[in-house]
Amino acid sequence: MKMALLKAPTPQLQWRCSVAPTTLAFPNSHSISAGRGKGREWSWRVKCTTSATTSGGGSAEIEKGAANFSPGSPVRATNILVVGATGTLGRQIVRRALDEGYDVRCLVRPRPAPADFLRDWGATVVNADLSKPETIPATLVGIHTIIDCATGRPEEPIKTVDWEGKVALIQCAKAMGIQKYVFYSIHNCDKHPEVPLMEIKYCTEKFLRDSALNHIVIRLCGFMQGLIGQYAVPILEEKSVWGTDAPTRIAYMDTQDIARLTFIAIRNEKLNGKLLTFAGPRAWTTQEVITLCERLAGQDANVTTVPVSILRFTRQLTRVFEWTNDVADRLAFSEVLSSDTVFSVPMADTYNLLGVDSKDIITLEKYLQDYFSNILKKLKDLKAQSKQTDIYF
Amino acid sequence: MNAAAASATVANSSFYSQTQCRLSSDLRGSIPFSKVKRFLFLNDVHPRKSGLVLVPRAADGKDSNEGGDEVEKQQRVMQQPPVSLSLDDVNPVGLGRRSRQLFDEVWRKFSGLGQISRTIRSDDQEALDALLVREGPMCEFAIPGAQNTTVLVVGATSRIGRIVVRKLMLRGYSVKALVRRADQEVVDLLPRSVEIVVGDVGDPTTVKAAVEGCNKIIYCATARSAITGDLFRVDHRGVYNLTKAFQDHNNKLAQSRAGKSSKSKLLISKFKSESSLHGWEVRQGTYFQDVLATKYDGGMDAKFEFTENGDAVFSGYVFNRGGYVELSKKLSLPLGYTLDRYEGLVLSVGGNGRSYVLILEAGPSADPSQSRLYFSRISTKVGFCRVRVPFSSFRPVKPDDPVLDPFLVHTLTIRFEPRRQKPVEVNATMQQDLRSFKLILEYIKALPTGQETDFVLVSCSGLGIEPSRREQVLKAKRAGEDSLRRSGLGYTIVRPGPLQEEPGGQRALIFDQGNRISQGISCADVADICVKALHDTTARNKSFDVCYEYIAEDGRELYELVAHLPDKANNYLTPALSVLEKNT
Repeated sequence: MKMALLKAPTPQLQWRCSVAPTTLAFPNSHSISAGRGKGREWSWRVKCTTSATTSGGGSAEIEKGAANFSPGSPVRATNILVVGATGTLGRQIVRRALDEGYDVRCLVRPRPAPADFLRDWGATVVNADLSKPETIPATLVGIHTIIDCATGRPEEPIKTVDWEGKVALIQCAKAMGIQKYVFYSIHNCDKHPEVPLMEIKYCTEKFLRDSALNHIVIRLCGFMQGLIGQYAVPILEEKSVWGTDAPTRIAYMDTQDIARLTFIAIRNEKLNGKLLTFAGPRAWTTQEVITLCERLAGQDANVTTVPVSILRFTRQLTRVFEWTNDVADRLAFSEVLSSDTVFSVPMADTYNLLGVDSKDIITLEKYLQDYFSNILKKLKDLKAQSKQTDIYF
Repeated sequence: MNAAAASATVANSSFYSQTQCRLSSDLRGSIPFSKVKRFLFLNDVHPRKSGLVLVPRAADGKDSNEGGDEVEKQQRVMQQPPVSLSLDDVNPVGLGRRSRQLFDEVWRKFSGLGQISRTIRSDDQEALDALLVREGPMCEFAIPGAQNTTVLVVGATSRIGRIVVRKLMLRGYSVKALVRRADQEVVDLLPRSVEIVVGDVGDPTTVKAAVEGCNKIIYCATARSAITGDLFRVDHRGVYNLTKAFQDHNNKLAQSRAGKSSKSKLLISKFKSESSLHGWEVRQGTYFQDVLATKYDGGMDAKFEFTENGDAVFSGYVFNRGGYVELSKKLSLPLGYTLDRYEGLVLSVGGNGRSYVLILEAGPSADPSQSRLYFSRISTKVGFCRVRVPFSSFRPVKPDDPVLDPFLVHTLTIRFEPRRQKPVEVNATMQQDLRSFKLILEYIKALPTGQETDFVLVSCSGLGIEPSRREQVLKAKRAGEDSLRRSGLGYTIVRPGPLQEEPGGQRALIFDQGNRISQGISCADVADICVKALHDTTARNKSFDVCYEYIAEDGRELYELVAHLPDKANNYLTPALSVLEKNT
């Protein structure tokens, strides 16, 4: 059964659903326009003309459409769909969900090396691609909650997954009567419209709000897991570590904690439609993190410090050419880095809201300490083994 | 070195022709000859240079290795790569690729600086590996010892079973799943690395194959209907078959280690011949020392003999008020064996279903005056049965004495006293005289101790079953529980309240014994208890009810209920179970 058609001549998006009795044009007129000017003038913007006129007729049709999908038995609240399940955060969400007894379905892009670890844990994997909206509807059948932690890969244009894909997903969720939608955004995304990813996230938040879906938006600061590859591993391998002299502070948080808090939030009906921000216990600068890693690893790092000004300059340079636009988008965070921002929020209220003890949230010191003690022990074992098998010619 | 030089020249000449071709095709031969020659010269230097690099390494090899053959071999080995390397070095495509890789790497790091948090790239193998170390076996879920443990989940597709399987997988166990049919639907439902065994719990042969190689069993299968046949097959017979197959499997392992395995029972007495009665001594006595009482007594008598049928029979009567007869033996264990490594006694007995008192005398063997007495009451059935008596059920005769230390036990006594005999139901019409008894002894063994539970059984508390069927369902479930308790395996019996399909870990739980709970519980919480119980010493040999926390009604809060909130950080099971009775 072909469930839905999407005619998407960029930049205008239109949603059509062939199953619903009448064509479901999404009430909100969201347009995305990529203005390609010249030189410094260039900036592509996501225009969110968020006219919140969810007409009664329109939503009624949507209800009808939703009713068509699920005649009879209600969807169980334990059926969830995780979008972006192979990512750093996504995999923790999946594990947590499985452990708490949810039936987890993972929306994964078709790829040559399938995400076997998800199946090994007991999740169901379905293949779909957010950038191909016609693949989405079939994956949503029988789903109660969507947890969306997908972000485009760095090498592909931000627009396809993070905006067009998300819009299609949200529209589809609405049309199929999904009962809750959890969206991960970035902290301070409303304050930095010059960064494309942040602007897209902010617009998606707005889009979600206007879609009248039952939703929770969770804004995140930074993942501790990312620091391992960025600093810890190079320091252990005595490779050069690249850091900036940016004064920005980021309150890193363990993705396992994020996953835990997320599920507490999902089950709390009072939080519907709320915006939550999760931040770690303390905000760190790059230099502080490197110093901490050095101390725990017991060796000095070979640090290459790149001044933020160079990053900014490179960004300006790459913006000039059209073929380097994606690169420029990726470097856009340098604008944020150079501003003296602190990526952190006081969490006391959030903890109260969720009923969580702040002691249960892992600190960066503890996290890295665990990591280093584990890995140093492992290295020791390996060395002891290799000594026995060394053969000299 | 000759070979090296030769091959280098060959490589060179081939390269020469290659460059010539390229040059001529690319630039249509418009390059002056001198230029080409200079280019060639430059290239010419290169292999020689790498040859020079090679020499000290080869010399090194010569120094450290004396064998001539080996040196030659080594030279060949050492000489080959530099030559091909030299080709690679000058290959413009390779050079281009390498420089691009180098640039990419630098660029990636550079642009990575502009990110707030990085995602894992598929090509970022090192980072991924490091993350797997962090997330994989050493993640929050991992349990030490899980890697070497294979768990058989019976009823892996049931509401609880599905979650149990996932939890086990997340914690790094090897999982076997016993399912009735291996349809595509079933296969899709289970994680891929689960070993699927097709079989029915009602069929002993398939069950035997299922327990092969398993260390622990979680039984969460339940009858699909309330038809008596189904109930009997799954809830009663199924548990029996599993325990039997598992014990057989353990025994097979124990046998292969000639009875020295930690799973072997220790034989204390086997009554198979006349001579085996040696050392057992029949005594009689009375609880009342005053002479007055004996006036109306009809006396008592008892004997222990080996009959023609090959049975060792202890029989007799006690008509005295407060009188008793007993059979006693000083234990002589094989050298190197002590009872503290055992958990209790198992007696295989037959007879007319009286109850007896088992008495252990413990104390330093050198000084009999310091011996202390410990007793435990056992009841038998009409016909043969096996009775398990854990050491923990023995109480001191004098209340002030310390608890029994099995290490010090030196004498075992079986006592019959006419008091507190329950009339046997089966022969109620025959009006038996409860003061006479007959006990056929087959063997007495000590049960090996174990730290952990071997068999987790999910039973039910009886709540939420429609009243007309409740009796039947409970009867089958209780029969299953009994067969597990008698099996000698370390067991944990979980009796959850009515199951609810919702996520676990949300509400506090109540662990209780004695059919007092009144609430439901989520399937995920039951699954979590099952998985936690596998390695929890306090869970061994316990049966308990569990449900969500509730407020007790007025006047009924006679007992203290300890609520425990399940969470990853705290181990709620140990404190909850440590207050509960063992061997229930």
